[in-house]
Amino acid sequence: MNFKYIQMIFMFALWFSVLNSVLAAPEFKIEIKNHLFFPAELTIPADTKVKLRIFNRDDTNEEFESYDLNREKVIMGNSQTVIFVGPLKPGSYEFFGEFYPKTAQGKIHVE
Amino acid sequence: MLLSSVVIILREVLEGAILLSVLLALSSQRDISLRWSLPALLLGSIGATGYAANFETIAAWFDYVGQDIANATLHLLIVLSLTAFAILHQVYERSHNNAIIACMILAVAFTVVREGSEIILYLSGYMNNSEVFPSVMLGGIIGSGIGASIGTLLYYALSCFLINSARKIAYLLLSLFAAGMSLHVVTMLTQADWMASGHSLWDTSGWIDESSLTGQLLYAVTGYESTPNANQVIAYIAGILLLLLLPRLLKKGFEVYEAKS
Repeated sequence: MNFKYIQMIFMFALWFSVLNSVLAAPEFKIEIKNHLFFPAELTIPADTKVKLRIFNRDDTNEEFESYDLNREKVIMGNSQTVIFVGPLKPGSYEFFGEFYPKTAQGKIHVE
Repeated sequence: MLLSSVVIILREVLEGAILLSVLLALSSQRDISLRWSLPALLLGSIGATGYAANFETIAAWFDYVGQDIANATLHLLIVLSLTAFAILHQVYERSHNNAIIACMILAVAFTVVREGSEIILYLSGYMNNSEVFPSVMLGGIIGSGIGASIGTLLYYALSCFLINSARKIAYLLLSLFAAGMSLHVVTMLTQADWMASGHSLWDTSGWIDESSLTGQLLYAVTGYESTPNANQVIAYIAGILLLLLLPRLLKKGFEVYEAKS
Protein backbone atom coordinates (compact mmCIF):
# COMPACT_ATOMS: atom_id res chain seq x y z
CA MET A 1 0.00 0.00 0.00
CA ASN A 2 1.14 3.54 -0.75
CA PHE A 3 2.64 5.30 2.29
CA LYS A 4 0.37 8.33 1.72
CA TYR A 5 -2.75 6.19 2.16
CA ILE A 6 -1.44 4.79 5.44
CA GLN A 7 -0.70 8.33 6.58
CA MET A 8 -4.21 9.46 5.64
CA ILE A 9 -5.87 6.58 7.50
CA PHE A 10 -3.71 7.30 10.52
CA MET A 11 -4.59 11.03 10.46
CA PHE A 12 -8.27 10.20 10.15
CA ALA A 13 -8.11 7.81 13.12
CA LEU A 14 -6.33 10.47 15.17
CA TRP A 15 -8.83 13.17 14.18
CA PHE A 16 -11.71 10.86 14.99
CA SER A 17 -10.39 10.02 18.46
CA VAL A 18 -9.74 13.71 19.23
CA LEU A 19 -13.27 14.62 18.12
CA ASN A 20 -14.63 11.81 20.23
CA SER A 21 -12.86 13.12 23.35
CA VAL A 22 -13.91 16.71 22.79
CA LEU A 23 -17.62 15.87 22.74
CA ALA A 24 -18.28 15.88 26.48
CA ALA A 25 -19.92 12.80 27.96
CA PRO A 26 -22.82 13.19 30.44
CA GLU A 27 -21.65 12.66 34.02
CA PHE A 28 -23.25 10.33 36.60
CA LYS A 29 -22.23 10.16 40.26
CA ILE A 30 -21.99 7.06 42.47
CA GLU A 31 -20.99 6.96 46.14
CA ILE A 32 -19.52 4.12 48.20
CA LYS A 33 -20.56 4.13 51.86
CA ASN A 34 -20.17 1.22 54.30
CA HIS A 35 -19.14 -0.98 51.34
CA LEU A 36 -22.41 -0.28 49.51
CA PHE A 37 -23.00 1.59 46.26
CA PHE A 38 -25.39 4.60 46.27
CA PRO A 39 -27.32 4.44 44.01
CA ALA A 40 -26.96 0.69 43.59
CA GLU A 41 -28.93 0.88 40.33
CA LEU A 42 -28.35 3.52 37.71
CA THR A 43 -30.04 4.18 34.37
CA ILE A 44 -28.00 5.63 31.51
CA PRO A 45 -28.89 6.34 27.86
CA ALA A 46 -28.14 3.73 25.18
CA ASP A 47 -25.41 4.28 22.55
CA THR A 48 -23.92 7.11 24.58
CA LYS A 49 -20.54 7.41 26.24
CA VAL A 50 -21.00 8.22 29.93
CA LYS A 51 -18.62 9.54 32.58
CA LEU A 52 -19.01 7.85 35.98
CA ARG A 53 -17.56 9.82 38.90
CA ILE A 54 -17.30 7.49 41.90
CA PHE A 55 -16.70 8.82 45.41
CA ASN A 56 -15.40 6.41 48.05
CA ARG A 57 -16.63 7.78 51.41
CA ASP A 58 -15.21 4.79 53.35
CA ASP A 59 -11.75 4.77 54.92
CA THR A 60 -10.96 1.51 53.12
CA ASN A 61 -9.86 1.07 49.51
CA GLU A 62 -12.26 -0.45 47.00
CA GLU A 63 -11.98 -1.70 43.43
CA PHE A 64 -14.80 -0.95 41.01
CA GLU A 65 -15.06 -4.02 38.82
CA SER A 66 -17.42 -5.15 36.09
CA TYR A 67 -17.02 -8.12 33.76
CA ASP A 68 -20.07 -6.92 31.78
CA LEU A 69 -18.56 -3.47 31.20
CA ASN A 70 -14.87 -4.53 30.95
CA ARG A 71 -13.96 -2.11 33.70
CA GLU A 72 -11.59 -2.43 36.68
CA LYS A 73 -10.28 0.43 38.81
CA VAL A 74 -9.01 0.92 42.36
CA ILE A 75 -10.54 3.78 44.38
CA MET A 76 -8.63 4.69 47.53
CA GLY A 77 -10.46 5.41 50.77
CA ASN A 78 -11.85 8.98 51.03
CA SER A 79 -11.04 9.61 47.41
CA GLN A 80 -12.74 9.68 44.01
CA THR A 81 -12.24 8.36 40.52
CA VAL A 82 -13.54 8.74 36.97
CA ILE A 83 -14.48 5.83 34.71
CA PHE A 84 -15.85 6.18 31.19
CA VAL A 85 -18.34 3.53 30.02
CA GLY A 86 -20.21 2.98 26.78
CA PRO A 87 -21.56 3.47 24.17
CA LEU A 88 -23.64 0.46 25.25
CA LYS A 89 -26.53 -1.51 23.82
CA PRO A 90 -29.76 -1.55 25.90
CA GLY A 91 -29.63 -4.06 28.76
CA SER A 92 -28.44 -4.58 32.33
CA TYR A 93 -24.77 -4.51 33.25
CA GLU A 94 -23.62 -5.67 36.69
CA PHE A 95 -20.75 -4.15 38.66
CA PHE A 96 -19.29 -4.86 42.10
CA GLY A 97 -16.60 -3.85 44.55
CA GLU A 98 -13.88 -6.47 44.25
CA PHE A 99 -12.56 -5.87 47.77
CA TYR A 100 -16.01 -6.21 49.40
CA PRO A 101 -17.93 -8.30 46.84
CA LYS A 102 -20.56 -9.55 49.29
CA THR A 103 -22.10 -6.14 49.94
CA ALA A 104 -20.80 -3.81 47.24
CA GLN A 105 -23.00 -4.73 44.26
CA GLY A 106 -24.77 -2.66 41.66
CA LYS A 107 -26.32 -2.56 38.20
CA ILE A 108 -26.32 -0.14 35.31
CA HIS A 109 -29.49 -0.18 33.22
CA VAL A 110 -29.04 1.03 29.67
CA GLU A 111 -32.24 2.26 27.99
CA MET B 1 -13.24 -12.84 53.99
CA LEU B 2 -10.71 -15.67 53.79
CA LEU B 3 -12.01 -17.07 50.51
CA SER B 4 -12.37 -13.73 48.74
CA SER B 5 -8.83 -12.72 49.71
CA VAL B 6 -7.49 -16.07 48.43
CA VAL B 7 -9.17 -15.41 45.05
CA ILE B 8 -8.07 -11.76 44.83
CA ILE B 9 -4.42 -12.46 45.67
CA LEU B 10 -4.32 -15.56 43.44
CA ARG B 11 -5.60 -13.53 40.48
CA GLU B 12 -2.83 -10.97 40.95
CA VAL B 13 -0.03 -13.49 41.61
CA LEU B 14 -0.95 -15.87 38.77
CA GLU B 15 0.01 -13.53 35.89
CA GLY B 16 3.47 -12.87 37.30
CA ALA B 17 4.00 -16.53 38.22
CA ILE B 18 3.16 -17.73 34.72
CA LEU B 19 5.37 -15.14 33.02
CA LEU B 20 8.26 -15.91 35.38
CA SER B 21 8.04 -19.69 34.91
CA VAL B 22 7.90 -19.46 31.10
CA LEU B 23 10.94 -17.14 31.04
CA LEU B 24 12.81 -19.36 33.52
CA ALA B 25 12.10 -22.44 31.37
CA LEU B 26 13.44 -20.62 28.29
CA SER B 27 16.51 -19.52 30.32
CA SER B 28 17.41 -23.00 31.48
CA GLN B 29 17.19 -24.29 27.89
CA ARG B 30 19.82 -21.77 26.92
CA ASP B 31 21.98 -22.49 29.98
CA ILE B 32 21.30 -19.03 31.40
CA SER B 33 21.53 -19.12 35.21
CA LEU B 34 18.12 -18.60 36.84
CA ARG B 35 19.60 -16.06 39.27
CA TRP B 36 18.27 -13.10 37.23
CA SER B 37 14.84 -13.72 38.77
CA LEU B 38 16.01 -12.36 42.15
CA PRO B 39 16.89 -8.81 40.99
CA ALA B 40 13.73 -8.87 38.82
CA LEU B 41 11.48 -9.66 41.80
CA LEU B 42 13.37 -7.24 44.04
CA LEU B 43 13.16 -4.36 41.52
CA GLY B 44 9.49 -5.12 40.97
CA SER B 45 8.73 -5.14 44.70
CA ILE B 46 10.49 -1.80 45.22
CA GLY B 47 8.58 -0.36 42.26
CA ALA B 48 5.27 -1.74 43.51
CA THR B 49 5.82 -0.24 46.97
CA GLY B 50 6.70 3.14 45.45
CA TYR B 51 3.67 3.06 43.14
CA ALA B 52 1.31 2.09 45.97
CA ALA B 53 2.78 4.75 48.30
CA ASN B 54 2.16 7.49 45.70
CA PHE B 55 -1.04 5.98 44.38
CA GLU B 56 -3.37 8.73 45.57
CA THR B 57 -1.33 11.43 43.79
CA ILE B 58 -0.93 9.42 40.58
CA ALA B 59 -4.63 8.44 40.55
CA ALA B 60 -5.69 12.10 40.62
CA TRP B 61 -3.67 13.03 37.49
CA PHE B 62 -5.59 14.12 34.35
CA ASP B 63 -8.89 14.47 36.27
CA TYR B 64 -8.71 11.09 38.03
CA VAL B 65 -7.64 8.89 35.15
CA GLY B 66 -3.95 8.84 36.19
CA GLN B 67 -4.25 5.25 37.37
CA ASP B 68 -5.35 4.09 33.91
CA ILE B 69 -2.56 6.00 32.18
CA ALA B 70 0.08 4.65 34.59
CA ASN B 71 -1.19 1.07 34.21
CA ALA B 72 -1.44 1.37 30.41
CA THR B 73 2.19 2.56 30.41
CA LEU B 74 3.25 -0.42 32.56
CA HIS B 75 1.43 -2.86 30.28
CA LEU B 76 3.01 -1.26 27.22
CA LEU B 77 6.48 -1.53 28.80
CA ILE B 78 5.84 -5.25 29.48
CA VAL B 79 4.90 -5.80 25.81
CA LEU B 80 7.98 -3.89 24.61
CA SER B 81 10.35 -5.79 26.95
CA LEU B 82 8.90 -9.13 25.81
CA THR B 83 9.15 -8.12 22.13
CA ALA B 84 12.82 -7.14 22.58
CA PHE B 85 13.36 -10.43 24.42
CA ALA B 86 11.74 -12.50 21.66
CA ILE B 87 13.76 -10.77 18.93
CA LEU B 88 17.13 -11.20 20.70
CA HIS B 89 16.28 -14.73 21.82
CA GLN B 90 15.42 -15.91 18.31
CA VAL B 91 17.86 -13.95 16.18
CA TYR B 92 20.94 -14.73 18.30
CA GLU B 93 21.08 -18.44 19.08
CA ARG B 94 24.11 -18.20 21.37
CA SER B 95 25.33 -14.64 21.96
CA HIS B 96 23.74 -11.53 23.53
CA ASN B 97 22.78 -13.36 26.73
CA ASN B 98 23.21 -10.26 28.90
CA ALA B 99 20.78 -8.24 26.78
CA ILE B 100 18.32 -11.14 26.91
CA ILE B 101 18.63 -11.27 30.71
CA ALA B 102 18.03 -7.50 30.91
CA CYS B 103 14.80 -7.84 28.87
CA MET B 104 13.55 -10.66 31.10
CA ILE B 105 14.35 -8.67 34.27
CA LEU B 106 12.43 -5.67 32.90
CA ALA B 107 9.39 -7.72 31.81
CA VAL B 108 9.07 -9.48 35.18
CA ALA B 109 9.80 -6.31 37.19
CA PHE B 110 7.11 -4.27 35.37
CA THR B 111 4.60 -7.12 35.88
CA VAL B 112 5.40 -7.24 39.60
CA VAL B 113 5.01 -3.44 39.85
CA ARG B 114 1.56 -3.67 38.26
CA GLU B 115 0.23 -6.67 40.18
CA GLY B 116 2.18 -6.09 43.41
CA SER B 117 0.90 -2.54 43.86
CA GLU B 118 -2.67 -3.81 43.67
CA ILE B 119 -1.94 -6.45 46.34
CA ILE B 120 -0.44 -3.77 48.60
CA LEU B 121 -3.47 -1.48 48.09
CA TYR B 122 -5.81 -4.37 48.88
CA LEU B 123 -3.99 -5.54 52.02
CA SER B 124 -3.30 -2.03 53.35
CA GLY B 125 -7.04 -1.42 53.50
CA TYR B 126 -7.28 -3.98 56.32
CA MET B 127 -4.21 -2.86 58.31
CA ASN B 128 -6.23 -1.06 60.98
CA ASN B 129 -8.95 -3.69 61.21
CA SER B 130 -7.55 -6.18 63.75
CA GLU B 131 -10.66 -8.39 63.48
CA VAL B 132 -10.34 -9.42 59.84
CA PHE B 133 -6.66 -8.64 59.16
CA PRO B 134 -5.39 -12.12 60.23
CA SER B 135 -7.83 -13.94 57.94
CA VAL B 136 -7.09 -11.57 55.04
CA MET B 137 -3.34 -12.12 55.50
CA LEU B 138 -3.86 -15.90 55.73
CA GLY B 139 -5.94 -15.75 52.54
CA GLY B 140 -3.14 -13.75 50.92
CA ILE B 141 -0.54 -16.34 51.91
CA ILE B 142 -2.70 -19.22 50.62
CA GLY B 143 -3.43 -17.34 47.38
CA SER B 144 0.27 -16.57 46.78
CA GLY B 145 1.08 -20.20 47.60
CA ILE B 146 -1.37 -21.55 45.03
CA GLY B 147 -0.10 -19.05 42.41
CA ALA B 148 3.54 -19.97 43.09
CA SER B 149 2.70 -23.70 42.91
CA ILE B 150 0.99 -23.30 39.53
CA GLY B 151 4.05 -21.40 38.29
CA THR B 152 6.42 -24.10 39.58
CA LEU B 153 4.32 -26.86 38.00
CA LEU B 154 4.35 -25.02 34.67
CA TYR B 155 8.13 -24.59 34.88
CA TYR B 156 8.72 -28.32 35.45
CA ALA B 157 6.12 -29.28 32.85
CA LEU B 158 7.95 -27.14 30.27
CA SER B 159 11.31 -28.59 31.36
CA CYS B 160 10.01 -32.16 30.85
CA PHE B 161 9.08 -31.65 27.22
CA LEU B 162 11.59 -32.15 24.44
CA ILE B 163 13.58 -28.96 23.85
CA ASN B 164 11.89 -28.04 20.56
CA SER B 165 8.29 -28.55 21.61
CA ALA B 166 8.85 -26.89 25.01
CA ARG B 167 10.22 -23.86 23.19
CA LYS B 168 7.17 -23.74 20.96
CA ILE B 169 4.74 -24.04 23.88
CA ALA B 170 6.70 -21.43 25.85
CA TYR B 171 6.57 -19.03 22.91
CA LEU B 172 2.88 -19.64 22.41
CA LEU B 173 2.21 -18.86 26.11
CA LEU B 174 4.48 -15.82 25.96
CA SER B 175 2.76 -14.39 22.86
CA LEU B 176 -0.71 -14.92 24.36
CA PHE B 177 0.50 -13.20 27.52
CA ALA B 178 1.86 -10.25 25.51
CA ALA B 179 -1.36 -10.12 23.47
CA GLY B 180 -3.36 -9.95 26.72
CA MET B 181 -1.11 -7.12 27.91
CA SER B 182 -1.64 -5.12 24.67
CA LEU B 183 -5.38 -5.66 25.08
CA HIS B 184 -5.11 -4.25 28.63
CA VAL B 185 -3.38 -1.13 27.22
CA VAL B 186 -6.44 -0.50 25.04
CA THR B 187 -8.88 -1.28 27.89
CA MET B 188 -7.12 1.17 30.23
CA LEU B 189 -6.95 3.94 27.61
CA THR B 190 -10.63 3.43 26.70
CA GLN B 191 -11.65 3.49 30.36
CA ALA B 192 -9.80 6.83 30.66
CA ASP B 193 -11.39 8.09 27.40
CA TRP B 194 -7.96 8.58 25.84
CA MET B 195 -9.00 6.15 23.12
CA ALA B 196 -12.27 5.95 21.20
CA SER B 197 -14.69 3.35 22.48
CA GLY B 198 -17.04 1.16 20.47
CA HIS B 199 -19.62 -1.60 20.75
CA SER B 200 -18.30 -5.07 21.48
CA LEU B 201 -17.78 -7.23 18.39
CA TRP B 202 -18.99 -10.47 19.96
CA ASP B 203 -20.06 -12.00 23.27
CA THR B 204 -18.62 -15.34 24.36
CA SER B 205 -19.75 -15.03 27.98
CA GLY B 206 -22.34 -17.74 27.24
CA TRP B 207 -19.49 -20.21 26.62
CA ILE B 208 -16.90 -19.05 29.12
CA ASP B 209 -17.98 -16.53 31.71
CA GLU B 210 -15.19 -14.18 32.81
CA SER B 211 -16.17 -14.60 36.45
CA SER B 212 -15.95 -18.43 36.30
CA LEU B 213 -12.80 -20.27 37.35
CA THR B 214 -11.91 -21.13 33.73
CA GLY B 215 -12.58 -17.53 32.73
CA GLN B 216 -10.33 -16.15 35.45
CA LEU B 217 -7.55 -18.60 34.63
CA LEU B 218 -7.84 -17.75 30.92
CA TYR B 219 -7.83 -14.04 31.85
CA ALA B 220 -4.57 -14.44 33.76
CA VAL B 221 -2.82 -16.50 31.07
CA THR B 222 -4.22 -15.06 27.83
CA GLY B 223 -6.04 -11.85 28.83
CA TYR B 224 -9.39 -13.47 27.96
CA GLU B 225 -12.12 -10.91 27.30
CA SER B 226 -15.66 -12.13 26.54
CA THR B 227 -16.94 -8.89 24.98
CA PRO B 228 -14.03 -7.16 23.19
CA ASN B 229 -14.37 -4.09 20.97
CA ALA B 230 -12.58 -3.61 17.64
CA ASN B 231 -9.56 -1.79 19.14
CA GLN B 232 -9.05 -4.55 21.69
CA VAL B 233 -9.14 -7.25 19.00
CA ILE B 234 -6.63 -5.31 16.86
CA ALA B 235 -4.32 -4.85 19.87
CA TYR B 236 -4.57 -8.56 20.68
CA ILE B 237 -3.64 -9.65 17.16
CA ALA B 238 -0.82 -7.07 17.09
CA GLY B 239 0.55 -8.50 20.34
CA ILE B 240 0.64 -12.03 18.90
CA LEU B 241 2.27 -10.86 15.67
CA LEU B 242 4.92 -8.86 17.59
CA LEU B 243 6.08 -11.93 19.49
CA LEU B 244 5.50 -14.77 17.04
CA LEU B 245 6.06 -13.22 13.62
CA LEU B 246 8.39 -10.22 13.97
CA PRO B 247 11.36 -12.17 15.46
CA ARG B 248 11.08 -14.80 12.71
CA LEU B 249 10.96 -12.19 9.94
CA LEU B 250 13.98 -10.41 11.41
CA LYS B 251 15.86 -13.69 11.71
CA LYS B 252 15.14 -14.54 8.07
CA GLY B 253 16.20 -11.02 7.08
CA PHE B 254 19.51 -11.36 8.93
CA GLU B 255 20.18 -14.73 7.35
CA VAL B 256 19.56 -13.37 3.86
CA TYR B 257 21.78 -10.35 4.62
CA GLU B 258 24.60 -12.54 5.95
CA ALA B 259 24.39 -14.92 3.00
CA LYS B 260 24.77 -11.98 0.62
CA SER B 261 27.74 -10.36 2.36
